Amino acid sequence: MDSTIKDFEAAITELETIVKKLEEGDLPLETSLQLYERGVQLSRFCHAQLEQAERRIEILNERGGVSPAPANLGAEDESEGRTRR
Amino acid sequence: MTNSLFDLPFEEPTPEDRGPQGSAPQEPRRVYSVSQLTDRIRALLEERFFEIWVEGEISNCFVAKTGHMYFTLKDTQAQIKAVMFRSAIRYLRFKPQDGLRVVARGRLTVYDPKGEYQIVCEHLEPEGLGARQLAFDQLKELLAREGLFDPRRKRALPALPRKIGVVTSLDGAAVRDIIKVLRRRYANAHIVIRPTRVQGEGAALEIARAMAAIGKVKGVDVVIVGRGGGSIEDLWAFNEEVVARAIAGCPVPTIAAVGHETDVTIADFVADVRAPTPSAAAEIVVARKDDFWARIDRLGHRVETLMQGRLHRIRARIGAIESRPGYAGFATRVAMRGRRADDLSHQLLRAVRGQLGRRERGYQTLQLTLERFDVRRRFGAIRTRLVGVDGRLTSSADRRVHAADARLRGAAARLESLSPLAVLARGYAVCWNEDRTAIIRDAAAVERGDRVHVKLERGELDCAVTSRGSTEPDS
Repeated sequence: MDSTIKDFEAAITELETIVKKLEEGDLPLETSLQLYERGVQLSRFCHAQLEQAERRIEILNERGGVSPAPANLGAEDESEGRTRR
Repeated sequence: MTNSLFDLPFEEPTPEDRGPQGSAPQEPRRVYSVSQLTDRIRALLEERFFEIWVEGEISNCFVAKTGHMYFTLKDTQAQIKAVMFRSAIRYLRFKPQDGLRVVARGRLTVYDPKGEYQIVCEHLEPEGLGARQLAFDQLKELLAREGLFDPRRKRALPALPRKIGVVTSLDGAAVRDIIKVLRRRYANAHIVIRPTRVQGEGAALEIARAMAAIGKVKGVDVVIVGRGGGSIEDLWAFNEEVVARAIAGCPVPTIAAVGHETDVTIADFVADVRAPTPSAAAEIVVARKDDFWARIDRLGHRVETLMQGRLHRIRARIGAIESRPGYAGFATRVAMRGRRADDLSHQLLRAVRGQLGRRERGYQTLQLTLERFDVRRRFGAIRTRLVGVDGRLTSSADRRVHAADARLRGAAARLESLSPLAVLARGYAVCWNEDRTAIIRDAAAVERGDRVHVKLERGELDCAVTSRGSTEPDS
């Protein structure tokens, strides 16, 4: 998605660092704006990551092949999550 | 001589008494009361079977309100009543249950009211447990020595797993529990299951192979390995060395979830995280999605408010510079003295006004662009996953904000350098003639013995000229 963001974890950590920096204040306006912009970017990335994982259950067989899990595993009922599809 | 037996409340039949009934009619018949007979039997049994070991299967096991446990020990041919008192049960390392084969240590006694003999158990151990316990302890020690349980080896779980690997049986309750919990907490979780037998001959090797296979699946960044509850024998595969080593060798972090809370296996020690149950493992592996949302939104909101606060402060600072008392007062005073000073002051005021005006315009531009940029709307856009966030909002608005900011900062810097106060603050001084009608710019304008006034950043000096240097300007 964005090559400057490693993963979800790194993004959240960086976002927290940005908040801390902005809280400490005394930054030049330009730096503040850059941090702000980066913060928005990170936040967007995190949200995208949350939605990115596919709702899927797969079975990895003996030969290393992957197939969808049988429906009787009880996976495809309740959908209380915030997926919007 | 008194036979000690006569101390008993009944007459002990002597060997002479024995024999076919009626064969010795001349002897008086010995008639026992039931109690007497029972006492006699108990005495014999307790003496003869004072400490014995007996092996059998537990059945009809129940614990009475008193905490004592009653059960039957049986094999294919026979059975014997058994009791174990609460004080002894405390020391058991397993829970006796029907069908379990055990070796019991105890003594025989008789329960008078029912005329039943029974074994009072002092200790029970599951058959074969001795050997298993030994194997468990030995493997645990070996792996501990190798450092496999070292807390420093434990890896952190990913905050948001991409794919969650699961190694367990498809037939057990564990896989359903895991799926149910994951779905509830994080509906779009991607789960990859590597089915394996989890008990019986060869199960350990299968689990180990499954671990190796799941660790190689692209995107799987955490693995749950385990099974639901069962007997010690059922869980035993998770105490095997091959499983322990497969877990230790897994390239991604592992969570072991074997049996119930109270079951502890070698796998639990080796895994990066031990979960008390499979459901708990699913809870540990990923936080609630809603929690993630809340956390990110909180951070995003914080960034926004901080940014707004920053802009407010800048506005306030500009206001403060405009109304600095030093400006007006000093400039006015300068204006009242002499033409050159007047010129200078006008020049200064013009420059200051000009810069302030430009600065104000710059600020207004910044404000405008920020409003158009509309921070709230940007967060709203993210929150509702508007895929096409308006391009104007992102790049061009950003650029305008930066350009405005740069201009503003440039103006501010120039303004500061032009301020007479700033000049004085840097260490320069203004030198006036004695009447304060002119600023001394040339040493030739004064004579030895003249008096001058030197204006510093703070305060003034009245000075006498004691000598005069070169009148050439410094290069």
